[in-house]
Amino acid sequence: MSSIPEYMTAKHRECDEFFTEAEAAVAKKDWSLALTKWQSFAGELTEHLAQEEEVLFPQFEQATGMTAGPTQVMRMEHQQMRALVQSLDNALAAKEKDEYLGLSETLMVMMQQHNMKEEMMLYPMMAQHLSDSEQLIEGFKARKVA
Amino acid sequence: MNISGLSFNALPPIDLPFRFFLSGPLFIIACALLVLFSGEALWLSRWQPNMLALTHGFTLGFLTMVMMGALLQLLPVIGGIGIAKPRIIATTSHALYCAGVIALMLSFIFSHHWLTLTALVLLSLGLGLYLAAIIWVLIKKISQGDSINGFRLAIISLAIVLLLGGFLLANRVGFTVPFMPIDKHITDIHALMGLVGWAGILIISVSFQVLPMFHVAPNMPKYIRQYLGVSLFISLLFYVFYAELALTLIFISHGVFAVTLFYVIKQRKRKVPDTSIKYWQLAAATLLLLNVLYFLPDSFYVPTQTPLWMALPDKGMLLTAIFIYFYLLSVVQGMLLKILPFLSYTHLQQRCLIDFSAMQYIPHMHDFLSKKKAMVLYYMHVLSGLSLVAVIFEPSLYIVFTLLLLIEFVWLFILMVKCMCLYFSVNRQINLSNKS
Repeated sequence: MSSIPEYMTAKHRECDEFFTEAEAAVAKKDWSLALTKWQSFAGELTEHLAQEEEVLFPQFEQATGMTAGPTQVMRMEHQQMRALVQSLDNALAAKEKDEYLGLSETLMVMMQQHNMKEEMMLYPMMAQHLSDSEQLIEGFKARKVA
Repeated sequence: MNISGLSFNALPPIDLPFRFFLSGPLFIIACALLVLFSGEALWLSRWQPNMLALTHGFTLGFLTMVMMGALLQLLPVIGGIGIAKPRIIATTSHALYCAGVIALMLSFIFSHHWLTLTALVLLSLGLGLYLAAIIWVLIKKISQGDSINGFRLAIISLAIVLLLGGFLLANRVGFTVPFMPIDKHITDIHALMGLVGWAGILIISVSFQVLPMFHVAPNMPKYIRQYLGVSLFISLLFYVFYAELALTLIFISHGVFAVTLFYVIKQRKRKVPDTSIKYWQLAAATLLLLNVLYFLPDSFYVPTQTPLWMALPDKGMLLTAIFIYFYLLSVVQGMLLKILPFLSYTHLQQRCLIDFSAMQYIPHMHDFLSKKKAMVLYYMHVLSGLSLVAVIFEPSLYIVFTLLLLIEFVWLFILMVKCMCLYFSVNRQINLSNKS
């Protein structure tokens, strides 16, 4: 069984993998490969954000009583990431290489910072406060959520 | 556990680091003029008064200036806590420090009692205030990590640099410090503490964070993260007693860092062309070259014995110039290319957390600093660096170095100003959007 920090951090790395492959393909103007990798990334990201917003954050808020704290900031950052993902979708559809690379650099840096905050602080706090955290992760693995 | 880091409330206002960054190139532009007006005699020895002014212009006026600004922002991002009362402390220390560096450079050039005293007072106050504020953060309960430990060693080194520099200046105006021999060895310790302890260890510590964050590179090996900074710092202390041996250790440690850098960069997942990566590679190659130059037999540096077609110039000056220009300056410029758009974007993005609709006004990171312009800066840097090496071989080429230096740093200044102008114009748009 894996813990919340282990599982969720591994998911961040998976997202990075697809993301960087898509970006490298765009840089080489290999648009079909870029689209495949980008869609894999977008799928992983959507599922990951849903796991946090629909399961982990509410449970954490309930366990700690902190509803306006870190989870709220994370939710707002998710919203901003979704906006950037939308812009990247458009740039990819229009095959605008420079626009895509400018946006991807932006999303990359935003994600890395966001991930750092989650991995260094939020996930360890969750592991500490959520008593059934391992079952939650097993649930994610079985794709019961999202 | 520290939750404040999650909210980014600790980020100091953007104009504070910006003022440090903007001041940097102006000092190099002043240095270029100093090179022009000093002529060939400047390159005779490191002890030439104008050469002392020049090295302090580069190391304090540019390198330390930019690193001070960057640290203001890096502490909250990496450690979760920023300095207390950032506006008053950063504004005051920046003003005192700038005036102090100017006074110091002038005091070397004109060798004037009052200028030296002014430099001593201003630098002690400016740098002292800054150090006190940073030390206050670093001894508090801050998110731990290898980078933060490295920052601690770098800051201790800077404090030692300031202390020794203070003694040396005090000695120039006639105060003698008991039990403190003021000789070449003390000056060497002062210089090495600055170049290797402060700048070097800070760069190494920052690399642990920025390579994974900006380039999705793997973490540096654990033993490098834990022991490289400490071993450099211990080598520096060792230098006080066993200079030759310590210097050898310092060069080898940097060689190890260079190989690790190449390895980590090669393993990075983000393979898109990137100027900052080019700067890191240039820096790593420089460290390897420095090892070669350091371990070359002394005969290579003696005109009558050299096996080459010409002897290498003064070893100390050559190695120091290459270390400063191709290693320290390269990394700091490479970092600036990332930090300027990153900070601009992050500050605006934080403003839009509440007012999500204003997100539409924020340009992407390449709009803040275009990739092509960054690449131009890189090539300018390589060219001006080569011209610096050429001047050390042949001092009559100083005009070429002056010109290339001017072009490079005016260009860097323009890139900074453009980035900041875009930031402030978008910021105004967001203000308007909030009001409407």
